[in-house]
Amino acid sequence: MAPRQGLPVVSPAFEAEALASLDSLYRAALRLTRRPADAEDLVQETYLKAFRAADQFEPGTNLRAWLFTILHNTARNRARDRARDTVSIDSEIVDRAADAPPLAGRSLGAAETPESLLMRDTLTPELQAAIDALPETFRQAVWLRDVEEFSYAEIAEMLSIPVGTVMSRISRGRHQLFERLSHLRPVNV
Amino acid sequence: MSNCQFIDPLVSPFVDGELPEADRRVVEDHLRACPPCHSRVRAEQTVHTLIRARAEALKPPAPEPLRARCQALCAHADAEAAPHLHPPLNRLPGASLVAARRAWAPRLAPYALAASLTIVVGSAFVYQATDKSVHLLAAELTADHVKCMAMNRAFGTQHQPAVVESAMASGFDWRMHLPDNPASADLELVGSRPCLYGEGKVAHIMYRHHGRQVSLFMLPKASRAQQLVRVLGHEAAIWCVGNRTFVLVARESRPEVERLASYVKAALH
Repeated sequence: MAPRQGLPVVSPAFEAEALASLDSLYRAALRLTRRPADAEDLVQETYLKAFRAADQFEPGTNLRAWLFTILHNTARNRARDRARDTVSIDSEIVDRAADAPPLAGRSLGAAETPESLLMRDTLTPELQAAIDALPETFRQAVWLRDVEEFSYAEIAEMLSIPVGTVMSRISRGRHQLFERLSHLRPVNV
Repeated sequence: MSNCQFIDPLVSPFVDGELPEADRRVVEDHLRACPPCHSRVRAEQTVHTLIRARAEALKPPAPEPLRARCQALCAHADAEAAPHLHPPLNRLPGASLVAARRAWAPRLAPYALAASLTIVVGSAFVYQATDKSVHLLAAELTADHVKCMAMNRAFGTQHQPAVVESAMASGFDWRMHLPDNPASADLELVGSRPCLYGEGKVAHIMYRHHGRQVSLFMLPKASRAQQLVRVLGHEAAIWCVGNRTFVLVARESRPEVERLASYVKAALH
């Protein structure tokens, strides 16, 4: 990749590497917008920005993470621009709300092993639906970590939040997913 | 239970196997002594394992048309942007774009413009057509003009007059008749689009004039004084008929835009 040669021109190598992330960007956009048309729009805007800012990409750093950062920034700006009150829902309020009730309290008998049942019986569409039903902040964090396998630091950069918040959102997101998926299993009431 | 909170920040890295050994032992000791926390961690571990196991199935590929459009964007990103569009670039998230420094080829400018203009005006678009200053209105419509033309080029839209007239009637209750002989003013009909902006309340009809794009917008229930505004390198001619405001946007000289606007004004019924 040679992004800094005279005028900023998108090199074929940069283009190829950037486009290799299309599938993951589209999936992340789908999780963010939950509507295919909006997801496509978001991905296109992401690529347009990325190609135009190609010379600002630092060679040797993670291009995929850089693209995800642009994607999330764009999505965040769009949400803000829509000036809808979802912005406040996406904020720390969700984190605090999730903090409020102690997570402990249930005692799952070891013999029941709801975990193994969950692993065995959960259908992918159920899992997908449960992920989509998460509050956005948790959904982003869990998706970026467990599906896209970004590091905590990379996710923190993408979402413009501290690493501690990333870890806490991942934890709460996973926990909520477990609760939702468990409720689908009659054995685990 | 009260000391359970200390493991809160440690659960994710514990599940992900990213805790240093010493911390890991502390967590494990606590989990042995605390069934609720043990359950919690097992639950999160299960979900983590479940998602990892299904990650591939959770990843449908991007649609092929999207791939083609993104590839096309790359080609156009190498093209030129109008130099007078510097300010919009400031609003980009994270590192600001430097595209404005480029020498952009006019042929491809719409693509570059579309992004920057969309960004700068995007936040302003809770559309209250009657509340906006004329300049802001013209800027928004110019942004839309550029974006629609870029999309149009990608999609290769070409509508017949009857299609446009029917879209205007059904979409805006605007029973109009397009100019009969646009070629007399060197105009060629491109088509119409439902405008992304203005919550779909703005009608947009597109023409080509000597290969360059000309947009005609119609804002229902809005009245404006007749004027010609220069904005973002374009000229916007604004006039009003009844309770409809018309805005013609083109990147042409002032007299040329005035000529086109007066032609459309006279020929549009």
